Order: sequence, then structure tokens, then C-alpha cells
Amino acid sequence: MSLFGSLDIAGSGIDAAQTWLNTTAGNIANMNDVSPMDEAAYGEQTPVFVPSGAVGQIGDGVSVAGIAEGDTTGIVQYDPSSPEANAQGEVRVPDVQLGSQMVDMIQAQTDYQANASVFADAKTAYQSALTLGT
Amino acid sequence: MDGIVDVLQYAVDGVNQQQQATANNLANSQTPGYTAQDVDFATSLQQAIDSPNGGTASAVVSADPAAPATNGNNVDTGNQLVDAQQETLQYQTTVDMLNAQFRLISGAAGGSFS
Repeated sequence: MSLFGSLDIAGSGIDAAQTWLNTTAGNIANMNDVSPMDEAAYGEQTPVFVPSGAVGQIGDGVSVAGIAEGDTTGIVQYDPSSPEANAQGEVRVPDVQLGSQMVDMIQAQTDYQANASVFADAKTAYQSALTLGT
Repeated sequence: MDGIVDVLQYAVDGVNQQQQATANNLANSQTPGYTAQDVDFATSLQQAIDSPNGGTASAVVSADPAAPATNGNNVDTGNQLVDAQQETLQYQTTVDMLNAQFRLISGAAGGSFS
């Protein structure tokens, strides 16, 4: 653990929350994508969080192990006016629910705020340590 | 453990570890299957202070016994945020007390008490 460990740990939490905000933003931005039937639909992206650090010791924060991709089958929709539609007038649209994305976004936001507040607390504590002997 | 400076120094280290554990718990508040960590140094420090020959203290990391949510995570964000505030204040208080001790030593050695 480095000299100002709590700052690194809170920073890793902020990074993870930022990644989560980014994936929800990407999911919402791609909600209305349209793919032809012979191609995959946009798959919902979710970050995979794993704790860092050795077992039995105070952890080193959190890291994003990867981005999990959801179902790319999507939802088959009848939209004959779409340029991507096949002879039967079918297209694929992503299986992304706006409601659950909004919930994820709020959770990511709260997660970000909690980590930022720990960062501020840790900074205050470390600053007081720098007054030692003065 | 002999002398108040040693005790306070140990307490500063202990609170720092507690703060790291709290920061780590909050960083992992959304990690599936994560179990929150608690750090206790006060019990062991009290025993070391009470022991007549001056014992040694150690900080113990343990798993939080709270029941996990459906994703296997048992971090209570509210509790952890309160802990973070408490630990910051405790850290500052302990540092203030250390500074007071240093001023006493400095004054006793012919320097300034303030």
C-alpha cells in the first residue's frame, strides 16, 4: 500500500463508477439502433467489478475486469419502411430497457459520489498528518 | 507500548488502516460477492496499555458479519460513509494530541510551549 492508500482506493472506486456511467450512457445512446436480420443487434454493456488486493488484508480497491456484453439477438421488430428491413419487413433492435439503464445510472452516480466523499475525507485526514511537529 | 507518544502513534496508524478499509468497502459497494472488511486496533491497544510490562498491539482485519444482498455483497453504504467521517475526525484529533505532546516536550526542553 502506498503512502496515501485511502486516496488510491477511493480513486479506483471513482474510476469504476465512471466506467459504469459510461456503459449506461453508451447503452442509452444505442437504444434505437437498427440492425438487419443477418447481423447481431447491439448488446447491452455492463462492467464487471472485482475487488483488488490480497486475501486476509485490507483490499486495494476495485477494478473493472472487463465489459460483459448482453444478448445480441435483440428484439425482432416489424418495420418494412426501414432501409435495413429484409424481404419480410423485419429488423433487429437492441434488447435494452430504458428503465433499468436509468436505475443503473443513478446507482453509478451515487457510487461515484460516495467514493468522492471518501476521497475528500481521506485528504483532510492526511493534511492534518502533515501538520505534525509544526 | 510505553509512553503516550507511542500509543498515539499506534492509534494514528490504526485509524489510517480503518480508513483504508472503509475506502475499500465503498469502492467495492457494487462488486458482486464482496464481503465488507472491519479493522479493529482499539481492543488490542487497550490490552497493551493495560499490561504491566508493556505489551504489543496489533490491528485485526475481519469480515463484516452483516447479511449479504441478493448479489452477495454486504456493504452498507450509509454506515460506511458515517465511518469515513468518524475516522477522519478521529485521525485529526489524534494528530492534534500528538502535536500537543510535541509542544510539551519542546517546552520542557527550554523551547516554546505554543
